[in-house]
Amino acid sequence: MNVSSGPQHRRLIGRLALHAVLLSVGILFMLPFLWSISTSLKSMSELFSVQPNLIPKKLRWDNYQAVFDNAPFLRFYINSIIVTIGRTIGQVAIASLAGFAFAQLRFPGRGVIFVGLLAGLMVPDQVLIVPRFVIMREFGWFDTYQGLIIPLIFSSFGVFLLRQYFLGIPRDFHEAAKLEGANPFQIYRDIYLPLARPALAAFGFLALLSSWNEFFWALTVTNQTEMRVLPVGIALFQGQYFTNNAIVMAAANMATFPLLLIFLFFQKQLVEGVAISGLK
Amino acid sequence: MHSADAPAPIRRPAARGFRNRQTRDEAVWAYALIAPMLIGFAVFFLIALGASLVLSFTEWRIIESPSWIGLANYRELVRDPQFRTALVNTVAITVPHVFFRLVIALALAIALNSRIRFRAFYRLLFFLPTVTMPVAIGTIWKWLYDPAFGPINSTLRRLGLPAPEWLAHRGTAIVAVVIVLLWSGIGYDMIIFLAGLQAIPRIFYEAASIDGASGWQQFRDITLPLLTPTTFFLSVIGIIYSLQVFDLVYVMTRIDQTNRLPTVVYLIYDEGFRTFRMGYAIAIAWTLLAIILVFTLIQFRLQKRWVNYE
Repeated sequence: MNVSSGPQHRRLIGRLALHAVLLSVGILFMLPFLWSISTSLKSMSELFSVQPNLIPKKLRWDNYQAVFDNAPFLRFYINSIIVTIGRTIGQVAIASLAGFAFAQLRFPGRGVIFVGLLAGLMVPDQVLIVPRFVIMREFGWFDTYQGLIIPLIFSSFGVFLLRQYFLGIPRDFHEAAKLEGANPFQIYRDIYLPLARPALAAFGFLALLSSWNEFFWALTVTNQTEMRVLPVGIALFQGQYFTNNAIVMAAANMATFPLLLIFLFFQKQLVEGVAISGLK
Repeated sequence: MHSADAPAPIRRPAARGFRNRQTRDEAVWAYALIAPMLIGFAVFFLIALGASLVLSFTEWRIIESPSWIGLANYRELVRDPQFRTALVNTVAITVPHVFFRLVIALALAIALNSRIRFRAFYRLLFFLPTVTMPVAIGTIWKWLYDPAFGPINSTLRRLGLPAPEWLAHRGTAIVAVVIVLLWSGIGYDMIIFLAGLQAIPRIFYEAASIDGASGWQQFRDITLPLLTPTTFFLSVIGIIYSLQVFDLVYVMTRIDQTNRLPTVVYLIYDEGFRTFRMGYAIAIAWTLLAIILVFTLIQFRLQKRWVNYE
Protein backbone atom coordinates (compact mmCIF):
# COMPACT_ATOMS: atom_id res chain seq x y z
CA MET A 1 0.00 0.00 0.00
CA ASN A 2 1.38 3.35 -1.01
CA VAL A 3 1.26 5.75 1.90
CA SER A 4 0.87 8.78 -0.23
CA SER A 5 -2.36 7.56 -1.82
CA GLY A 6 -5.21 9.94 -0.96
CA PRO A 7 -7.32 8.26 1.78
CA GLN A 8 -4.29 6.69 3.47
CA HIS A 9 -2.64 10.04 3.67
CA ARG A 10 -5.68 11.70 5.15
CA ARG A 11 -6.11 8.94 7.70
CA LEU A 12 -2.49 9.25 8.80
CA ILE A 13 -2.76 13.01 9.25
CA GLY A 14 -6.05 12.52 11.07
CA ARG A 15 -4.43 10.05 13.41
CA LEU A 16 -1.46 12.32 14.05
CA ALA A 17 -3.78 15.25 14.71
CA LEU A 18 -5.72 13.16 17.20
CA HIS A 19 -2.53 12.22 19.01
CA ALA A 20 -1.44 15.84 19.03
CA VAL A 21 -4.71 16.97 20.56
CA LEU A 22 -4.79 14.15 23.11
CA LEU A 23 -1.20 14.70 24.07
CA SER A 24 -1.64 18.43 24.60
CA VAL A 25 -4.79 17.94 26.64
CA GLY A 26 -2.98 15.21 28.53
CA ILE A 27 -0.03 17.44 29.31
CA LEU A 28 -2.37 20.20 30.42
CA PHE A 29 -4.04 17.65 32.63
CA MET A 30 -0.79 16.65 34.23
CA LEU A 31 0.37 20.20 34.79
CA PRO A 32 -1.22 20.60 38.23
CA PHE A 33 0.57 17.45 39.43
CA LEU A 34 3.83 18.53 37.85
CA TRP A 35 3.46 21.99 39.29
CA SER A 36 2.72 20.62 42.72
CA ILE A 37 5.85 18.48 42.68
CA SER A 38 7.91 21.32 41.34
CA THR A 39 6.60 23.78 43.92
CA SER A 40 7.27 21.34 46.74
CA LEU A 41 10.94 21.33 45.83
CA LYS A 42 11.40 25.07 45.65
CA SER A 43 13.14 27.34 48.10
CA MET A 44 11.34 30.30 49.63
CA SER A 45 12.92 32.77 47.28
CA GLU A 46 11.95 30.82 44.19
CA LEU A 47 8.46 30.44 45.55
CA PHE A 48 7.80 34.14 45.65
CA SER A 49 9.03 34.98 42.21
CA VAL A 50 6.49 36.67 40.00
CA GLN A 51 7.59 34.62 37.00
CA PRO A 52 7.63 31.09 38.38
CA ASN A 53 9.42 28.35 36.52
CA LEU A 54 8.35 24.77 36.27
CA ILE A 55 11.77 23.43 37.08
CA PRO A 56 13.30 24.70 40.30
CA LYS A 57 16.90 25.82 40.17
CA LYS A 58 17.79 23.94 43.32
CA LEU A 59 15.91 20.90 44.56
CA ARG A 60 14.99 21.42 48.18
CA TRP A 61 14.20 17.87 49.30
CA ASP A 62 14.33 19.09 52.88
CA ASN A 63 10.89 20.62 52.37
CA TYR A 64 9.53 17.11 52.73
CA GLN A 65 11.35 16.64 56.00
CA ALA A 66 10.03 20.02 57.12
CA VAL A 67 6.47 18.71 56.81
CA PHE A 68 7.18 16.17 59.52
CA ASP A 69 9.13 18.65 61.60
CA ASN A 70 6.52 21.38 61.57
CA ALA A 71 3.39 19.33 62.09
CA PRO A 72 2.25 16.03 63.60
CA PHE A 73 2.13 14.78 60.05
CA LEU A 74 3.31 11.28 60.88
CA ARG A 75 0.46 11.05 63.37
CA PHE A 76 -2.02 12.13 60.70
CA TYR A 77 -0.57 9.55 58.33
CA ILE A 78 -0.75 6.71 60.80
CA ASN A 79 -4.28 7.63 61.75
CA SER A 80 -5.30 7.68 58.12
CA ILE A 81 -3.74 4.29 57.51
CA ILE A 82 -5.42 2.70 60.52
CA VAL A 83 -8.79 4.21 59.78
CA THR A 84 -8.65 3.39 56.08
CA ILE A 85 -7.66 -0.22 56.61
CA GLY A 86 -10.34 -0.60 59.28
CA ARG A 87 -13.07 0.88 57.15
CA THR A 88 -12.07 -1.03 54.01
CA ILE A 89 -11.90 -4.42 55.67
CA GLY A 90 -15.12 -3.68 57.53
CA GLN A 91 -16.99 -2.62 54.41
CA VAL A 92 -15.79 -5.52 52.29
CA ALA A 93 -16.46 -8.12 54.97
CA ILE A 94 -19.93 -6.92 55.90
CA ALA A 95 -21.06 -6.19 52.36
CA SER A 96 -19.79 -9.48 50.99
CA LEU A 97 -21.45 -11.50 53.76
CA ALA A 98 -24.74 -9.75 53.20
CA GLY A 99 -24.42 -9.72 49.42
CA PHE A 100 -23.81 -13.46 49.41
CA ALA A 101 -26.79 -14.09 51.66
CA PHE A 102 -29.12 -11.98 49.54
CA ALA A 103 -27.92 -13.59 46.35
CA GLN A 104 -27.58 -17.25 47.22
CA LEU A 105 -29.63 -17.98 50.30
CA ARG A 106 -33.37 -18.10 50.72
CA PHE A 107 -35.07 -16.63 53.73
CA PRO A 108 -38.28 -14.86 54.55
CA GLY A 109 -38.24 -11.11 54.01
CA ARG A 110 -35.25 -11.27 51.72
CA GLY A 111 -36.70 -8.98 49.09
CA VAL A 112 -38.16 -6.43 51.47
CA ILE A 113 -35.03 -6.16 53.58
CA PHE A 114 -32.85 -5.73 50.52
CA VAL A 115 -35.00 -2.95 49.10
CA GLY A 116 -34.96 -1.35 52.55
CA LEU A 117 -31.17 -1.34 52.49
CA LEU A 118 -31.21 0.31 49.09
CA ALA A 119 -33.08 3.23 50.60
CA GLY A 120 -29.80 3.98 52.32
CA LEU A 121 -28.36 4.98 48.97
CA MET A 122 -30.91 7.70 48.48
CA VAL A 123 -30.23 9.67 51.63
CA PRO A 124 -27.16 11.93 51.66
CA ASP A 125 -24.84 11.80 54.64
CA GLN A 126 -25.41 15.38 55.79
CA VAL A 127 -28.93 14.54 56.94
CA LEU A 128 -27.53 11.87 59.25
CA ILE A 129 -24.40 13.53 60.49
CA VAL A 130 -25.83 15.32 63.51
CA PRO A 131 -27.66 12.25 64.91
CA ARG A 132 -24.56 10.16 64.30
CA PHE A 133 -22.58 12.80 66.17
CA VAL A 134 -25.00 12.44 69.07
CA ILE A 135 -24.74 8.64 68.97
CA MET A 136 -20.97 9.00 69.18
CA ARG A 137 -21.44 11.17 72.23
CA GLU A 138 -23.64 8.52 73.84
CA PHE A 139 -21.16 5.75 73.07
CA GLY A 140 -18.23 7.88 74.17
CA TRP A 141 -16.59 7.39 70.79
CA PHE A 142 -15.31 10.92 70.14
CA ASP A 143 -11.63 11.00 69.25
CA THR A 144 -11.45 7.23 68.96
CA TYR A 145 -10.62 4.89 66.13
CA GLN A 146 -13.89 3.03 66.52
CA GLY A 147 -15.73 6.31 66.18
CA LEU A 148 -13.92 6.98 62.95
CA ILE A 149 -14.28 3.48 61.56
CA ILE A 150 -17.46 1.78 62.67
CA PRO A 151 -20.19 4.19 61.57
CA LEU A 152 -18.80 4.04 58.04
CA ILE A 153 -18.55 0.29 57.47
CA PHE A 154 -22.17 -0.33 56.54
CA SER A 155 -22.29 0.19 52.82
CA SER A 156 -25.59 -0.38 51.05
CA PHE A 157 -23.76 0.25 47.81
CA GLY A 158 -21.39 -2.57 48.63
CA VAL A 159 -24.21 -4.95 49.41
CA PHE A 160 -25.86 -4.05 46.12
CA LEU A 161 -22.69 -4.43 44.08
CA LEU A 162 -21.60 -7.72 45.60
CA ARG A 163 -25.07 -9.22 45.54
CA GLN A 164 -25.13 -8.39 41.85
CA TYR A 165 -21.89 -10.24 41.35
CA PHE A 166 -22.85 -13.23 43.49
CA LEU A 167 -26.08 -13.56 41.52
CA GLY A 168 -23.99 -14.18 38.47
CA ILE A 169 -22.24 -17.19 39.98
CA PRO A 170 -24.05 -20.46 39.22
CA ARG A 171 -25.87 -22.18 42.03
CA ASP A 172 -24.25 -25.48 41.13
CA PHE A 173 -21.31 -24.83 43.43
CA HIS A 174 -23.70 -24.02 46.19
CA GLU A 175 -25.83 -27.13 45.66
CA ALA A 176 -22.81 -29.39 45.49
CA ALA A 177 -21.35 -28.01 48.67
CA LYS A 178 -24.68 -28.23 50.46
CA LEU A 179 -24.91 -31.92 49.60
CA GLU A 180 -21.55 -32.39 51.19
CA GLY A 181 -22.89 -30.88 54.39
CA ALA A 182 -21.21 -27.49 54.28
CA ASN A 183 -22.93 -24.68 56.13
CA PRO A 184 -23.61 -21.40 54.32
CA PHE A 185 -20.70 -19.60 55.95
CA GLN A 186 -18.28 -22.27 54.76
CA ILE A 187 -19.78 -22.10 51.30
CA TYR A 188 -19.31 -18.36 51.34
CA ARG A 189 -15.76 -18.51 52.63
CA ASP A 190 -14.41 -21.43 50.63
CA ILE A 191 -16.22 -21.17 47.32
CA TYR A 192 -17.92 -17.87 46.61
CA LEU A 193 -15.46 -15.47 48.17
CA PRO A 194 -12.53 -16.68 46.05
CA LEU A 195 -14.73 -16.63 42.96
CA ALA A 196 -15.73 -13.04 43.64
CA ARG A 197 -12.22 -11.67 43.59
CA PRO A 198 -12.72 -9.11 40.77
CA ALA A 199 -15.78 -7.61 42.42
CA LEU A 200 -14.11 -7.62 45.82
CA ALA A 201 -11.04 -5.93 44.38
CA ALA A 202 -13.08 -3.27 42.63
CA PHE A 203 -15.27 -2.56 45.64
CA GLY A 204 -12.29 -2.80 47.96
CA PHE A 205 -10.45 -0.15 46.03
CA LEU A 206 -13.48 2.15 45.96
CA ALA A 207 -13.82 1.67 49.72
CA LEU A 208 -10.10 2.34 50.16
CA LEU A 209 -10.26 5.48 48.08
CA SER A 210 -13.31 6.97 49.77
CA SER A 211 -12.01 6.09 53.22
CA TRP A 212 -8.62 7.67 52.62
CA ASN A 213 -10.16 10.87 51.26
CA GLU A 214 -13.06 11.09 53.68
CA PHE A 215 -13.33 14.51 55.29
CA PHE A 216 -16.68 15.47 56.79
CA TRP A 217 -17.13 12.62 59.26
CA ALA A 218 -13.49 12.71 60.38
CA LEU A 219 -13.83 16.43 60.91
CA THR A 220 -16.96 15.91 63.00
CA VAL A 221 -15.96 13.02 65.21
CA THR A 222 -12.43 14.11 66.11
CA ASN A 223 -11.28 17.15 68.01
CA GLN A 224 -7.87 16.38 69.41
CA THR A 225 -5.03 16.99 67.01
CA GLU A 226 -3.53 13.57 67.66
CA MET A 227 -6.61 11.87 66.28
CA ARG A 228 -6.93 13.86 63.10
CA VAL A 229 -6.56 12.13 59.76
CA LEU A 230 -4.68 13.44 56.73
CA PRO A 231 -7.43 15.32 54.88
CA VAL A 232 -8.51 17.12 58.04
CA GLY A 233 -4.94 17.80 59.10
CA ILE A 234 -4.02 19.31 55.77
CA ALA A 235 -7.20 21.35 55.50
CA LEU A 236 -7.14 22.85 58.97
CA PHE A 237 -3.49 23.38 59.64
CA GLN A 238 -2.19 25.00 56.53
CA GLY A 239 -1.70 28.38 58.05
CA GLN A 240 -0.64 27.08 61.41
CA TYR A 241 2.05 24.58 60.59
CA PHE A 242 3.04 25.07 57.03
CA THR A 243 4.52 28.48 56.86
CA ASN A 244 5.54 28.30 53.27
CA ASN A 245 3.66 26.93 50.32
CA ALA A 246 6.42 24.59 49.24
CA ILE A 247 5.88 22.68 52.46
CA VAL A 248 2.12 22.74 51.93
CA MET A 249 2.60 21.23 48.49
CA ALA A 250 4.91 18.60 49.91
CA ALA A 251 2.26 17.64 52.44
CA ALA A 252 -0.44 17.47 49.74
CA ASN A 253 1.77 15.30 47.56
CA MET A 254 2.57 12.88 50.34
CA ALA A 255 -1.12 12.55 51.07
CA THR A 256 -1.95 11.55 47.52
CA PHE A 257 1.03 9.33 46.64
CA PRO A 258 -0.14 6.09 48.28
CA LEU A 259 -3.46 5.96 46.50
CA LEU A 260 -1.88 6.93 43.21
CA LEU A 261 0.64 4.13 43.60
CA ILE A 262 -2.01 1.56 44.49
CA PHE A 263 -4.06 2.70 41.54
CA LEU A 264 -1.13 2.48 39.15
CA PHE A 265 -0.45 -1.09 40.20
CA PHE A 266 -4.01 -2.32 39.92
CA GLN A 267 -5.36 0.00 37.28
CA LYS A 268 -6.56 -2.54 34.79
CA GLN A 269 -8.82 -4.36 37.22
CA LEU A 270 -9.95 -1.15 38.84
CA VAL A 271 -10.91 0.69 35.71
CA GLU A 272 -12.89 -2.33 34.59
CA GLY A 273 -14.57 -2.45 37.96
CA VAL A 274 -15.57 1.20 37.67
CA ALA A 275 -16.98 0.61 34.20
CA ILE A 276 -18.97 -2.39 35.36
CA SER A 277 -20.44 -0.57 38.30
CA GLY A 278 -21.37 2.32 36.07
CA LEU A 279 -23.15 0.19 33.54
CA LYS A 280 -25.36 -1.44 36.14
CA MET B 1 -50.74 -37.40 48.06
CA HIS B 2 -47.55 -39.41 47.86
CA SER B 3 -46.28 -40.84 44.65
CA ALA B 4 -45.17 -44.40 44.84
CA ASP B 5 -41.46 -43.62 44.57
CA ALA B 6 -40.85 -40.21 46.12
CA PRO B 7 -39.99 -40.27 49.81
CA ALA B 8 -42.31 -38.23 51.96
CA PRO B 9 -40.77 -34.99 53.26
CA ILE B 10 -39.80 -35.16 56.90
CA ARG B 11 -42.18 -32.95 58.80
CA ARG B 12 -40.88 -31.88 62.13
CA PRO B 13 -42.90 -29.66 64.41
CA ALA B 14 -39.69 -27.88 65.33
CA ALA B 15 -39.34 -26.45 61.82
CA ARG B 16 -42.37 -24.27 62.56
CA GLY B 17 -43.56 -22.65 59.39
CA PHE B 18 -40.64 -23.64 57.16
CA ARG B 19 -40.94 -26.36 54.63
CA ASN B 20 -38.34 -28.46 56.35
CA ARG B 21 -35.50 -28.16 58.75
CA GLN B 22 -33.01 -27.51 56.01
CA THR B 23 -34.85 -24.43 54.83
CA ARG B 24 -35.08 -23.14 58.37
CA ASP B 25 -31.40 -23.69 58.94
CA GLU B 26 -30.60 -21.84 55.75
CA ALA B 27 -32.77 -18.96 56.88
CA VAL B 28 -31.08 -18.83 60.28
CA TRP B 29 -27.67 -18.76 58.64
CA ALA B 30 -28.82 -16.07 56.26
CA TYR B 31 -29.99 -13.86 59.11
CA ALA B 32 -26.66 -14.42 60.82
CA LEU B 33 -24.76 -13.37 57.72
CA ILE B 34 -26.78 -10.21 57.19
CA ALA B 35 -26.92 -9.38 60.89
CA PRO B 36 -23.86 -7.10 60.99
CA MET B 37 -25.19 -5.09 58.06
CA LEU B 38 -28.68 -4.92 59.52
CA ILE B 39 -27.54 -3.89 62.98
CA GLY B 40 -25.29 -1.19 61.66
CA PHE B 41 -27.93 -0.05 59.23
CA ALA B 42 -30.52 0.08 61.98
CA VAL B 43 -28.35 2.15 64.30
CA PHE B 44 -26.51 4.43 61.91
CA PHE B 45 -29.20 4.86 59.33
CA LEU B 46 -32.72 4.09 60.50
CA ILE B 47 -32.44 5.45 64.01
CA ALA B 48 -30.28 8.31 62.82
CA LEU B 49 -32.79 9.12 60.09
CA GLY B 50 -35.73 9.14 62.48
CA ALA B 51 -33.87 11.26 64.99
CA SER B 52 -32.78 13.59 62.24
CA LEU B 53 -36.31 14.17 61.06
CA VAL B 54 -37.60 14.88 64.54
CA LEU B 55 -34.64 17.08 65.43
CA SER B 56 -35.20 19.24 62.37
CA PHE B 57 -38.26 20.58 64.15
CA THR B 58 -36.35 21.56 67.25
CA GLU B 59 -34.02 24.25 68.41
CA TRP B 60 -31.04 22.54 69.93
CA ARG B 61 -27.86 24.12 71.10
CA ILE B 62 -26.27 20.89 72.36
CA ILE B 63 -25.65 22.09 75.91
CA GLU B 64 -29.36 22.10 76.70
CA SER B 65 -31.98 19.64 75.59
CA PRO B 66 -33.80 20.16 72.30
CA SER B 67 -36.95 22.25 72.36
CA TRP B 68 -39.77 21.79 69.92
CA ILE B 69 -40.29 24.72 67.57
CA GLY B 70 -42.25 23.17 64.74
CA LEU B 71 -41.51 24.58 61.31
CA ALA B 72 -39.57 27.57 62.63
CA ASN B 73 -36.24 26.28 61.34
CA TYR B 74 -37.58 25.92 57.84
CA ARG B 75 -39.20 29.32 57.94
CA GLU B 76 -35.94 30.85 59.06
CA LEU B 77 -34.10 29.01 56.31
CA VAL B 78 -36.20 30.56 53.61
CA ARG B 79 -35.40 34.04 54.82
CA ASP B 80 -31.77 33.42 55.74
CA PRO B 81 -29.43 35.36 53.42
CA GLN B 82 -26.58 33.00 54.26
CA PHE B 83 -28.61 30.04 53.06
CA ARG B 84 -29.62 31.87 49.92
CA THR B 85 -26.01 32.70 49.16
CA ALA B 86 -24.88 29.15 49.77
CA LEU B 87 -27.68 27.74 47.63
CA VAL B 88 -26.98 30.11 44.75
CA ASN B 89 -23.28 29.29 44.95
CA THR B 90 -23.96 25.57 44.95
CA VAL B 91 -26.33 25.66 41.99
CA ALA B 92 -24.04 28.06 40.13
CA ILE B 93 -21.29 25.50 40.52
CA THR B 94 -23.47 22.51 39.69
CA VAL B 95 -24.97 23.55 36.38
CA PRO B 96 -21.83 24.43 34.39
CA HIS B 97 -19.88 21.65 36.09
CA VAL B 98 -22.23 18.85 35.07
CA PHE B 99 -22.86 20.25 31.60
CA PHE B 100 -19.23 20.68 30.59
CA ARG B 101 -18.25 17.50 32.33
CA LEU B 102 -20.58 15.45 30.14
CA VAL B 103 -19.56 17.22 26.94
CA ILE B 104 -15.81 17.06 27.49
CA ALA B 105 -15.83 13.52 28.87
CA LEU B 106 -17.82 12.34 25.87
CA ALA B 107 -15.42 14.05 23.48
CA LEU B 108 -12.47 12.42 25.20
CA ALA B 109 -14.17 9.04 25.23
CA ILE B 110 -14.86 9.26 21.50
CA ALA B 111 -11.27 10.24 20.87
CA LEU B 112 -10.04 7.31 22.91
CA ASN B 113 -12.50 4.90 21.34
CA SER B 114 -10.90 5.14 17.93
CA ARG B 115 -8.27 2.51 17.52
CA ILE B 116 -5.25 4.53 18.54
CA ARG B 117 -2.16 3.34 20.23
CA PHE B 118 -1.35 4.25 23.82
CA ARG B 119 -5.04 4.28 24.63
CA ALA B 120 -4.36 2.79 28.06
CA PHE B 121 -1.81 5.51 28.72
CA TYR B 122 -4.24 8.33 27.93
CA ARG B 123 -6.98 6.61 29.90
CA LEU B 124 -4.71 6.51 32.91
CA LEU B 125 -3.68 10.12 32.46
CA PHE B 126 -7.21 11.47 32.49
CA PHE B 127 -8.31 9.23 35.32
CA LEU B 128 -5.50 10.10 37.74
CA PRO B 129 -7.14 13.21 39.22
CA THR B 130 -10.15 11.08 40.12
CA VAL B 131 -8.11 9.03 42.59
CA THR B 132 -6.52 12.08 44.14
CA MET B 133 -7.59 13.36 47.55
CA PRO B 134 -10.00 16.28 47.11
CA VAL B 135 -8.41 18.19 50.01
CA ALA B 136 -5.05 17.83 48.31
CA ILE B 137 -6.57 18.88 44.98
CA GLY B 138 -8.03 21.98 46.60
CA THR B 139 -4.69 22.73 48.23
CA ILE B 140 -2.74 22.36 45.00
CA TRP B 141 -5.12 24.40 42.90
CA LYS B 142 -5.34 27.09 45.55
CA TRP B 143 -1.66 27.64 44.92
CA LEU B 144 -2.10 27.47 41.16
CA TYR B 145 -4.68 30.23 41.43
CA ASP B 146 -2.54 32.35 43.74
CA PRO B 147 -3.01 35.88 42.38
CA ALA B 148 0.57 37.00 42.87
CA PHE B 149 2.77 33.94 42.56
CA GLY B 150 0.66 31.23 41.00
CA PRO B 151 1.43 29.94 37.49
CA ILE B 152 -2.05 30.61 36.15
CA ASN B 153 -1.91 34.33 36.75
CA SER B 154 1.72 34.63 35.75
CA THR B 155 0.89 32.95 32.45
CA LEU B 156 -2.10 35.23 31.96
CA ARG B 157 0.05 38.26 32.64
CA ARG B 158 2.66 37.05 30.21
CA LEU B 159 -0.06 36.81 27.57
CA GLY B 160 -1.29 40.28 28.40
CA LEU B 161 -4.61 38.96 29.71
CA PRO B 162 -6.34 40.05 32.93
CA ALA B 163 -5.15 38.17 35.98
CA PRO B 164 -7.87 38.46 38.63
CA GLU B 165 -7.83 37.40 42.27
CA TRP B 166 -9.57 34.20 41.37
CA LEU B 167 -10.63 32.85 44.72
CA ALA B 168 -11.32 36.13 46.46
CA HIS B 169 -14.40 37.16 44.49
CA ARG B 170 -17.52 35.12 44.08
CA GLY B 171 -17.87 35.21 40.28
CA THR B 172 -14.30 34.24 39.48
CA ALA B 173 -14.25 31.79 42.37
CA ILE B 174 -17.17 29.93 40.86
CA VAL B 175 -15.38 29.70 37.52
CA ALA B 176 -12.20 28.57 39.25
CA VAL B 177 -14.00 25.90 41.26
CA VAL B 178 -15.88 24.57 38.24
CA ILE B 179 -12.60 24.19 36.37
CA VAL B 180 -11.10 22.22 39.25
CA LEU B 181 -14.17 20.02 39.58
CA LEU B 182 -14.02 19.33 35.85
CA TRP B 183 -10.35 18.46 36.08
CA SER B 184 -10.93 16.05 38.90
CA GLY B 185 -14.12 14.43 37.66
CA ILE B 186 -13.89 14.11 33.88
CA GLY B 187 -11.82 10.95 34.00
CA TYR B 188 -14.59 9.02 35.72
CA ASP B 189 -17.27 10.07 33.23
CA MET B 190 -14.90 9.33 30.40
CA ILE B 191 -14.42 5.75 31.53
CA ILE B 192 -18.15 5.19 31.76
CA PHE B 193 -18.73 6.76 28.37
CA LEU B 194 -16.01 4.56 26.92
CA ALA B 195 -17.77 1.49 28.23
CA GLY B 196 -21.01 2.73 26.74
CA LEU B 197 -19.37 3.47 23.40
CA GLN B 198 -17.80 0.06 23.24
CA ALA B 199 -21.18 -1.52 23.80
CA ILE B 200 -22.45 -0.06 20.51
CA PRO B 201 -22.17 -2.76 17.84
CA ARG B 202 -19.78 -1.75 15.12
CA ILE B 203 -22.24 -3.11 12.57
CA PHE B 204 -24.35 0.03 12.98
CA TYR B 205 -21.50 2.25 11.92
CA GLU B 206 -20.47 -0.01 9.07
CA ALA B 207 -23.99 -0.09 7.72
CA ALA B 208 -24.22 3.68 7.99
CA SER B 209 -20.93 4.11 6.15
CA ILE B 210 -22.16 1.92 3.35
CA ASP B 211 -25.24 4.11 3.15
CA GLY B 212 -22.96 7.12 2.78
CA ALA B 213 -23.51 8.71 6.17
CA SER B 214 -20.79 11.14 7.27
CA GLY B 215 -18.97 10.90 10.59
CA TRP B 216 -21.04 13.68 12.05
CA GLN B 217 -24.29 12.08 10.93
CA GLN B 218 -23.21 8.77 12.41
CA PHE B 219 -22.45 10.50 15.66
CA ARG B 220 -25.77 12.30 15.74
CA ASP B 221 -27.96 9.40 14.66
CA ILE B 222 -26.20 6.37 16.14
CA THR B 223 -23.82 7.33 18.92
CA LEU B 224 -25.83 9.99 20.71
CA PRO B 225 -29.14 8.16 20.86
CA LEU B 226 -27.54 4.92 21.99
CA LEU B 227 -25.57 6.75 24.66
CA THR B 228 -28.57 8.42 26.24
CA PRO B 229 -28.91 5.89 29.10
CA THR B 230 -25.25 6.43 30.01
CA THR B 231 -25.62 10.19 29.71
CA PHE B 232 -28.70 10.10 31.88
CA PHE B 233 -26.95 8.05 34.56
CA LEU B 234 -23.93 10.35 34.60
CA SER B 235 -26.00 13.50 34.72
CA VAL B 236 -28.06 12.20 37.66
CA ILE B 237 -25.08 11.23 39.77
CA GLY B 238 -23.17 14.29 38.60
CA ILE B 239 -25.86 16.63 39.88
CA ILE B 240 -26.28 14.71 43.13
CA TYR B 241 -22.55 14.83 43.73
CA SER B 242 -22.21 18.46 42.76
CA LEU B 243 -24.98 19.68 45.04
CA GLN B 244 -23.14 18.11 47.98
CA VAL B 245 -19.69 19.51 47.25
CA PHE B 246 -17.82 20.54 50.39
CA ASP B 247 -14.21 19.67 51.13
CA LEU B 248 -12.65 20.72 47.86
CA VAL B 249 -14.41 24.08 47.77
CA TYR B 250 -13.82 24.66 51.48
CA VAL B 251 -10.07 24.18 51.18
CA MET B 252 -9.80 26.34 48.07
CA THR B 253 -11.93 29.29 49.08
CA ARG B 254 -11.11 29.64 52.74
CA ILE B 255 -8.99 32.77 52.85
CA ASP B 256 -8.02 34.54 56.06
CA GLN B 257 -10.50 32.63 58.20
CA THR B 258 -13.48 33.53 56.03
CA ASN B 259 -15.08 31.29 53.47
CA ARG B 260 -15.40 33.22 50.21
CA LEU B 261 -17.60 30.66 48.49
CA PRO B 262 -19.81 28.90 51.02
CA THR B 263 -21.79 25.93 49.75
CA VAL B 264 -24.88 24.38 51.28
CA VAL B 265 -22.98 21.54 52.93
CA TYR B 266 -20.47 24.02 54.31
CA LEU B 267 -23.38 25.86 55.90
CA ILE B 268 -24.61 22.63 57.48
CA TYR B 269 -21.20 22.09 58.98
CA ASP B 270 -20.90 25.70 60.09
CA GLU B 271 -24.33 25.91 61.74
CA GLY B 272 -24.06 22.47 63.29
CA PHE B 273 -20.51 22.32 64.54
CA ARG B 274 -19.34 25.89 64.84
CA THR B 275 -22.38 27.80 66.02
CA PHE B 276 -23.81 24.53 67.39
CA ARG B 277 -27.36 25.14 66.23
CA MET B 278 -28.02 21.49 65.60
CA GLY B 279 -31.72 21.68 64.82
CA TYR B 280 -31.17 24.39 62.23
CA ALA B 281 -28.30 22.54 60.62
CA ILE B 282 -30.44 19.42 60.25
CA ALA B 283 -33.21 21.47 58.71
CA ILE B 284 -30.75 22.75 56.11
CA ALA B 285 -29.69 19.17 55.42
CA TRP B 286 -33.30 18.06 54.87
CA THR B 287 -33.85 21.00 52.56
CA LEU B 288 -30.81 19.95 50.57
CA LEU B 289 -32.22 16.44 50.39
CA ALA B 290 -35.50 17.83 49.11
CA ILE B 291 -33.68 19.87 46.47
CA ILE B 292 -31.71 16.82 45.34
CA LEU B 293 -34.92 14.81 45.15
CA VAL B 294 -36.59 17.49 43.06
CA PHE B 295 -33.67 17.66 40.63
CA THR B 296 -33.59 13.87 40.38
CA LEU B 297 -37.33 13.52 39.90
CA ILE B 298 -37.31 16.15 37.17
CA GLN B 299 -34.56 14.23 35.42
CA PHE B 300 -36.43 10.97 35.71
CA ARG B 301 -39.53 12.59 34.29
CA LEU B 302 -37.61 14.12 31.41
CA GLN B 303 -35.87 10.87 30.61
CA LYS B 304 -38.95 9.53 28.92
CA ARG B 305 -38.51 12.27 26.35
CA TRP B 306 -34.95 11.72 25.42
CA VAL B 307 -33.53 8.46 26.76
CA ASN B 308 -33.72 5.39 24.53
CA TYR B 309 -33.59 2.01 26.09
CA GLU B 310 -33.18 -0.89 23.74
